[in-house]
Amino acid sequence: MLVVDRAGGIVEANDAARTVLPDVTGGDGPYENLPDWLTEAHRHMTGGLGATWAEPPSGAIGGRHFEAHPRPGADGDVAWWLIDATDRHLAEETLRREQERAAILSEVSSTLLSSLNVPRCMEVTARLATRHLADAAVLVAPAQGRRHPVTYAQAHGPAVRVTRAVDPATVPGLAEALQGFPPVPTRWIDPGAIPAWAIPEGFEGPVGSVTVTPLPGHGVPAGALILLRSSTVRAFTESENVFARLFAARAGAALSAARLYTEQAAVTATLMQELLPPALGGVHGVDYAGGYRPAQDSERIGGDFYDVHPGADPSQESLVVLGDVAGKGLDAAVLTGKIRNTLHALLPLAHDHQHVLNLLNAALLTSRHTRFATLVLVSARHRAGRVRLRLTSAGHLPPLIVRADGRVEESGTRGNLVGAMPAVSVRTEETVLAPGETCLLYTDGITEARGGPLGGELYGVERLKRALAECAGMPAEAVVERVQMLAAQWLGQGRHDDMAVIAISAPRPRPLTVTGGDMHRGHSGNPGRSGRPGEPGVPGDPGTPHERHGRSA
Amino acid sequence: MTTLPPEFGLDVITAPDVLTIEVVGDLDYETSDELLATVADHLTPDPAFQRLRLDFRGLTWIDSMGLSTLLMVHRRTSATGIALTLDNRPGFLQRMLDLTGTLDHFTATAEGEGEAADSGTGTGTGTGTGTGTGTG
Repeated sequence: MLVVDRAGGIVEANDAARTVLPDVTGGDGPYENLPDWLTEAHRHMTGGLGATWAEPPSGAIGGRHFEAHPRPGADGDVAWWLIDATDRHLAEETLRREQERAAILSEVSSTLLSSLNVPRCMEVTARLATRHLADAAVLVAPAQGRRHPVTYAQAHGPAVRVTRAVDPATVPGLAEALQGFPPVPTRWIDPGAIPAWAIPEGFEGPVGSVTVTPLPGHGVPAGALILLRSSTVRAFTESENVFARLFAARAGAALSAARLYTEQAAVTATLMQELLPPALGGVHGVDYAGGYRPAQDSERIGGDFYDVHPGADPSQESLVVLGDVAGKGLDAAVLTGKIRNTLHALLPLAHDHQHVLNLLNAALLTSRHTRFATLVLVSARHRAGRVRLRLTSAGHLPPLIVRADGRVEESGTRGNLVGAMPAVSVRTEETVLAPGETCLLYTDGITEARGGPLGGELYGVERLKRALAECAGMPAEAVVERVQMLAAQWLGQGRHDDMAVIAISAPRPRPLTVTGGDMHRGHSGNPGRSGRPGEPGVPGDPGTPHERHGRSA
Repeated sequence: MTTLPPEFGLDVITAPDVLTIEVVGDLDYETSDELLATVADHLTPDPAFQRLRLDFRGLTWIDSMGLSTLLMVHRRTSATGIALTLDNRPGFLQRMLDLTGTLDHFTATAEGEGEAADSGTGTGTGTGTGTGTGTG
């Protein structure tokens, strides 16, 4: 306790105060030998403001931390009770640092996880490391071939990304860190032994201390982080090393997620490229239109597919395939690719659907799974204004035929699915389309669309048939658009599976002045009497014909 | 207005010579692995039953993965010499089996066993063996 008068002179100091402030003699001048923070607090008190602090004034005295509690006395004297708050202060300091670190870690996670771009993640990691951990950071990613992507960052500088052939063995602990082994204690790393490549260009001063921390990924290491401090700054403490490891754990998880996502996206893109349905159009006097709406589950490749293989010349049949593979994702994509390729190779045998399907079945059978496909084969040929069809369903929804008068027939073809049973037996049915008549192939994504006015109700074959009855006389493309539109309306906001539709139509004779090519090539032109509802070139319809031949000849 | 389908579940009932699995809920992409795993658990090299009864009384929906799983179950039971019956098939399952031409496949192999066991299966409508209408 010490008593200070209005002018700042020390009136009295007890033994304890003298121990704390050994310079106080009793004959000190105003504010002499008082710490600055206490001087200020005293002036505050005596200046008429009184003890108006939310927290008592506090500050350092001789390496310890004190709080000062004032008691106003007579004559404007103030008795200051000094309380040693060093331990509490330390605890608070630690707590504040921990909170700061938690905030940093949460910033690291949220910043990094908002980007699934690998290079950007590496840049951000290196930059955050220089802001919170060290003067410079070097992030070494696992080798791609013989070279490592290396990202350099320095405090207040930009991050630099290079890919170079570096030898991790030249930095103590780096090779181990890249394999995911625990970090090497800092004191074991000789700063002088750090090779030039591991020091960012323009790093000021010699390297004072170094840590090498692995970036743990999901199962495989995501890289390693080299942190550098210049010799003018103190070395890394154990607590800082622990924090660096926590930081690295967050960064590694984010990097790993970004890398996995990038790989997955690349695989999906590659497969999608292969599996995208072809653009259809008129071939050898028959009109084809197709529509495909993949399930919203966009990361997963669905199981629906279709193809049109034109005959070698107009006298030959073209083969139309529409099918649905059980399941989704990579397994379904692989099976879909297999089926499309196999059928392509079997085209020369397409005159015998049962034979083709049995060969396909044999090619698909495996002891590993019973993943199957259902599909419809249609061989189509234009002859004297009509289109002759041979239809075969292998366990698939039978095609629907829209007659010119609005009747809708269900084809009588039946057969087994392919890919899971020893043999396939099918019944092929033939039919003839008069001009303006259409045969529709579709997958169960349409009929099993759940929605409607009450929600959760199946669209169903009967509704589809009624809708088709109103499509009599429409061109193939219009029928596909109509069916897709109705299914979409039925669904509303509901989730849906893949939906694929193909329409095969016998074109109606049209005045020669309106040539097929003009009609379909230019989207600006009004198709005139084609009676198409909706706008041409609806987005998401890959089936916009780009070509037609032979019809008006 | 949409009512949630009952949660997927499998009830396994063991009786002398017959193992019954009641499938409740949707048998689909997400749930069908569970059925296969349950069947695999009971298909020991020397199983204590000669017949596997899948009871679909509580089935609410089946998708292509569900059917694929039934085909796998059939493959497994045939390999072990166990008869498989698909009992109490709801309309949508019956239609799916008809459409995909799999009904005969499921019933054909079980025939020998099925006729002998027919008296024992009189648990209700549409017991799998013998009563199948075939594709038509």
